[in-house]
Amino acid sequence: MSTSAPTRQSRPRSAGGGVTFGGVLRSEWIKLRSLRSTVWCFAIIAVLIIGFGALFSAVASGFEGMESTPEQQQSLAASVTTIGVAFAQLVAAVLGALIITGEFGTGMIRSTFAAVPRRTPALIAKLIIVAIGTFVVSAISLAITSLLAVPLLRGVDIELDLADGKYWLSMLGAAASVAFMAMIAFGLGMIIRNSTGAIAAAIGVVFVVPILFSIAMGLVSGTWVYSLNEFIPPTAASRIYEYVVDGSSMLTAPAVDGAIRLEPWQALLVLVGWVVALFAAGLALVKRRDV
Amino acid sequence: MIEAHGLTKRYGAKLALDDVSFTVRPGLVTGFLGPNGAGKSTTMRMIVGLDRPTAGSVTVNGRRYADHTAPLHEVGVLLDAKAVHSGRSAADHLLAMAATHGIGRSRVKEVIALTGLESVAKKRVGGFSLGMGQRLGIAAALLGDPATVILDEPVNGLDPEGVVWVRTLARHLAGEGRTVFLSSHLMSEMAQTADHLIVLGRGRVLADSPVSDVIAQASGEAVRVRSPRADDLVRLAQTHDVAVTPVEPGLVELRGITAERVGELAAASGIVLHELTPLVRSLEDAYMTLTQDSVDYHAGGAPTTAASPTTEGAQR
Repeated sequence: MSTSAPTRQSRPRSAGGGVTFGGVLRSEWIKLRSLRSTVWCFAIIAVLIIGFGALFSAVASGFEGMESTPEQQQSLAASVTTIGVAFAQLVAAVLGALIITGEFGTGMIRSTFAAVPRRTPALIAKLIIVAIGTFVVSAISLAITSLLAVPLLRGVDIELDLADGKYWLSMLGAAASVAFMAMIAFGLGMIIRNSTGAIAAAIGVVFVVPILFSIAMGLVSGTWVYSLNEFIPPTAASRIYEYVVDGSSMLTAPAVDGAIRLEPWQALLVLVGWVVALFAAGLALVKRRDV
Repeated sequence: MIEAHGLTKRYGAKLALDDVSFTVRPGLVTGFLGPNGAGKSTTMRMIVGLDRPTAGSVTVNGRRYADHTAPLHEVGVLLDAKAVHSGRSAADHLLAMAATHGIGRSRVKEVIALTGLESVAKKRVGGFSLGMGQRLGIAAALLGDPATVILDEPVNGLDPEGVVWVRTLARHLAGEGRTVFLSSHLMSEMAQTADHLIVLGRGRVLADSPVSDVIAQASGEAVRVRSPRADDLVRLAQTHDVAVTPVEPGLVELRGITAERVGELAAASGIVLHELTPLVRSLEDAYMTLTQDSVDYHAGGAPTTAASPTTEGAQR
């Protein structure tokens, strides 16, 4: 290693380009792509979506001679090609939690906040990059799955029409649902700071809470459990990519009489609400805390 | 220029910083000294807005750090060597830091070369030695070509060559007119690097003056005398309010009296002297004197005995 004294004859300068939001975004992008753990998470998301989608396209039982409309066929196809999305959501939740808690755990957060002392721009940029990253990877994976699914589904007598705009809207919704889980977990990570705790909390939200609700639905009489279930993140996330035909999609139960069932746009608002609430709570804490 | 006014930090019942005020001036290397736990790192984190003072305020070049539009150009800071994600390469870390301020790739290469990290720039930081981590931290601090450089324990973990390099760098940066603020718990290091010292102990400023003054302040006159009639000499000297430390038979150390006076006393009484040595106190001793009441964790007993038998530590 060279240990020569610096020879640069620069003079102290206080002018020059300052912190810009574009710069902070670029910084967070560099951080995202320069960590193996995050690259791995993205790869796993792609593998889960494409792998499960293609596998189930090949083995789906189809309508087996029953009468079906083209719309019902599209709905079934959409259910099959998005079958890996629930697993991708789980990985995205781990990624969303890791990306922020990893900085707290390693001390990197001090470098980040020394460069962006107002803190809020750095956290917003990080959230945006995580959201865009998970959305784009999921969307591309779903597009690949759809292309693979056309010949595979034809083998089981399901005709997937890729010219159907409603089908692609469902795919966009599915990609967004993955991004929302990453963002919700990011908010939890800001609050909890510890990797293990935040990942546990994120998995709890994506995985454990729905199980509790499905148990409650069986044990508790009354429709309020079904109504409340609509507002938990995993349910709302599934609502934004359902291909609904005549009030239900092919793989989810029809609405219970008297219970609330969210329209995709309502579910989208519920998810935005979760992200905003968790991020705002996390921001209030991070702005106040010593790092 | 760093100006701290009444910085106070309380962690529960513990007062980590107690009304700390000081000014760090440009063109000088200012050393920030104190035992572990004195509050040096807390103070430095407050300067760059990472820790929030319970009371008081601190500004850099007239403004709060967070109020600068280009903080990395104002202040470069090495807080601790591992304020870096261990899974990222050194080059990527610097590129990510640089991107926030629109600092170009060429400047990143420059600081990598300046800190001698070329060969490991593409390696993940998790595998770095403490010394390489320090170099990376210094590279990050210099990224914005800042007018003020804050380095917390920069020589920690560096090899002797690296220590000399940091010393040269600090002097060079100050020579360019920058404000340089270094913390250390090693006196010897500061004696060779700093122009000015701020000594912190248990969260309070114990001294804030040029290096030479700090030594003079904490220093008393001391003389080592070897004589076959040492006992007689001690008896003579004791009429002069002198502190005596017997070292071995025939060898004593006297404090509060000059070598000249001892020589005169000996000559007047016809006592033969085999040795008469004025003891110049080192910065180390001066520091020990300043901070001995404010060390949080003593290593079982008096920590100063080994450094110098003449300090109060030996007499406790």
